[in-house]
Amino acid sequence: MVQDQRIIVGVYHLSKSFGRHFSLQDINLQVANGEFVFLVGPSGAGKSTLLRMIYMDDVPTSGQVVVGPHVSTRMKRGTIPELRRKIGIVFQDFRLLEDQTVFENVALALKVTGVGMGEVKRQVTEILMRVGLYHKRYDFPAELSGGEQQRIAIARAVANRPSILLADEPTGNLDPVVTKSILELLFKINAGGTAVLMATHDLDLVKSFGQRILYLEHGRIAKDSDMIYVGDLRERLSGSKVSEEAERLTDHDIEGEEGGDGR
Amino acid sequence: MKVNQFRYVLEESLTTMNRRRGANLISTVIMGLSLLILGVFLLITINVSAVIGKASEELRVYVYLKDGVDSPTQKEIHYRLLALSGVDEVVFVSREEALVSFRKSLGRNKDMLEAVAGNPLPDAYRVKVKPEDIRTDFLEQMARQVEAWPGVEEVRYGQQWLERGEKLVKGFYVTDLIIGAIIFLSVIFVIANTVRLTVITRQKTIEVAKLVGATNAYIQIPFLIEGAVQGTIASLLAVGLLAVIFTFAKRYLPGILFLEASGIAVFVVFCALLGALGSLGAMRRFLKI
Repeated sequence: MVQDQRIIVGVYHLSKSFGRHFSLQDINLQVANGEFVFLVGPSGAGKSTLLRMIYMDDVPTSGQVVVGPHVSTRMKRGTIPELRRKIGIVFQDFRLLEDQTVFENVALALKVTGVGMGEVKRQVTEILMRVGLYHKRYDFPAELSGGEQQRIAIARAVANRPSILLADEPTGNLDPVVTKSILELLFKINAGGTAVLMATHDLDLVKSFGQRILYLEHGRIAKDSDMIYVGDLRERLSGSKVSEEAERLTDHDIEGEEGGDGR
Repeated sequence: MKVNQFRYVLEESLTTMNRRRGANLISTVIMGLSLLILGVFLLITINVSAVIGKASEELRVYVYLKDGVDSPTQKEIHYRLLALSGVDEVVFVSREEALVSFRKSLGRNKDMLEAVAGNPLPDAYRVKVKPEDIRTDFLEQMARQVEAWPGVEEVRYGQQWLERGEKLVKGFYVTDLIIGAIIFLSVIFVIANTVRLTVITRQKTIEVAKLVGATNAYIQIPFLIEGAVQGTIASLLAVGLLAVIFTFAKRYLPGILFLEASGIAVFVVFCALLGALGSLGAMRRFLKI
């Protein structure tokens, strides 16, 4: 399947069953380049399963997933690493390597691609600066707070400059203040041009940001709200250190939505 | 795989091995001891077959002639023997010479011969067979052939002794094979177990590496290297211990042989491969890569 160049992730008539039980049923969705999408649904709705299909850790029972040039139905095992380098993945439990320093954790993503050590150092430094944790580069994950660990996990996920960042309940283990800062970081990354697909069970958390929200219920997309715009982002985040980039992006996105991009 | 990736993989292997040196040491020692048992049996086999081989070389085939064979017939037998394939040397032993050496071999019992009138021994040809042809099947066939010639009474070559020797060597080889197979399995098992532990402790690393786009080679090579290094160290350990055992044994059995350098090299390479493949196999099974 050839899809529009502007679409980074396309899911078409995807169903996934485990035995007789359908975990996902006839899912259709598209995420455009640079878009920010929340995937909202209660626990067990199939959010994680859907994300796993997108990063091709599992195969759909029927239907297909298209990520850039990669098509799930024509995927060879050997090309999965190539796909993974174009996708950043973040989890609720951070999945950092406890026996490696912050620097090494982030460097791993670059090393597997075969980048030279000088370049690895340069890029890791730059990314750690961006997430504001360069000064903790020699620390081990256990020495960091939950929020800091998630920042490192995000840094690792974006190290290869992926076209899309998949985040599976990235704030699930974090308190509200830290949650907000993580969201800000995701907005900032999105502002850099990376599409973000973030799964969360917490509608209240995300409905205020004015991003596109997909509702997943009982394995089906119950609603694809192109736009739920409640309040002004700046107002919501007033007093916090929301980056200018995030603001600019949000404005831009809103304009884009208002202009109607034909989704 | 790019040069850089290979460098990172090597670094990763060294770091992991260093971090897990305790567990690795234990499994390496167990592997080494298992291989030592194989080594001991190999050593015994080598020496037994060397002794039997040497003894076989001393073997002579005796072609006894009929009484009163005329000299043309006797000469013809001589030529025909020389023309046989596998024959190295043919010496005529007259009945008189035979009697002299028989008397000598009897020693103090030589009086026994006095009871016999005249010389009971026949003329004979003593045939030396090429060492590579000293085998029961070859000699038996040759004996049957020669016995059919006119003027030949009987052919003898110590069948029973040779057969027994051959059986012994064969038995050793079979035992070696069986022990080798058992040790092969146990070494694979030891490696598999170590790798299983390594995989469990590194499961998260592997998972994360896959998530960020590491190729299977990138993930597997450290295991391969670890297995090969373990196999090599274990085999060197086994050879070292074997040398110690050999030194002690030599005090009581001077003249025994040790493995040849080429044999040791083959053994070490074999063990390195065994370690690498065992490690790779085990990892594939546990990881389902």
